[in-house]
Amino acid sequence: MVLIIGGAWQGKLNWARETFELTDCDVYACTGGEIDFSRCCIDHLEEFTLACVDEDLDPVSYFEERAGLWANSVLICDDVSCGVVPMSARLRRWRNETGRLCQYLAARADRVSRIFCGLEQRLK
Amino acid sequence: MTIFLSGGAKNGKSSLAQDLAVRLAGDGSLYYVATMVPVDEEDRQRIRRHVADRAGLGFQTVECGRHILSALDGVDRTGTFLLDSVTALLMNEMFTDVGVDPSAGERCAAELTAFIRAVENAVIVSDAIYSDAERYDEITELYRAALARADRACAAACDTVIEMVAGQPVIYKGGLPK
Repeated sequence: MVLIIGGAWQGKLNWARETFELTDCDVYACTGGEIDFSRCCIDHLEEFTLACVDEDLDPVSYFEERAGLWANSVLICDDVSCGVVPMSARLRRWRNETGRLCQYLAARADRVSRIFCGLEQRLK
Repeated sequence: MTIFLSGGAKNGKSSLAQDLAVRLAGDGSLYYVATMVPVDEEDRQRIRRHVADRAGLGFQTVECGRHILSALDGVDRTGTFLLDSVTALLMNEMFTDVGVDPSAGERCAAELTAFIRAVENAVIVSDAIYSDAERYDEITELYRAALARADRACAAACDTVIEMVAGQPVIYKGGLPK
């Protein structure tokens, strides 16, 4: 499994497409608390974690329970960890859950890449 | 050599950028392309501080808040150009007297690419504002996407790409000048 993180708008998906030769139908863009693991690339995990906060689900448990489904996937998540502590409890929890999920996934990844302005920094 | 340098606030971007520009210039022309159009006392203070930092380093200041290629009129293109910052340039291009220009990011990306290709040495400074836990309003998100568009164009066009973290350069592409 490959985990790709980085700030918003940094070209993470483009980098994944080029590096792993992905097509449109390989990519699932998260919009809620369910993930279509039949696609090999899961983008916008930060939207999944926000939906988990809204639906009171635990994102790490969700991945644990489906461990076999993403063992060979490319997973992409916005880094939302670097700003001021959000005023809203919802966004504070979102920030925490996104960080928890990224740590959980990074520990299990074969490769962790951080994308900055379209360029890779290999973290693992 | 052309260098793109970004990172979070107060990580040492401007001082490394100055240092790199002075080294690249050697005995040649050295220009500071000032993009910030001051709107209040805080801005004027920041500008005074930066002007004092540059004093004695041999920079000629070129004021250019918009249409960045016009900064190259009548200057020595074989010289070294420190452009600080893409953030301020895009602000001026996007938020105009007649409203918000959604095409500003694409235009800045193209003009900065042409600027980088037109000069011998350049150090281009931007700000990484992409990693906070906030859901922004439409206009702010438009600006963030546009800045990232311009940043990625600069990163693609430059020989070297650096992220500054706590005063330490993290190099994504190329190398530092000798």
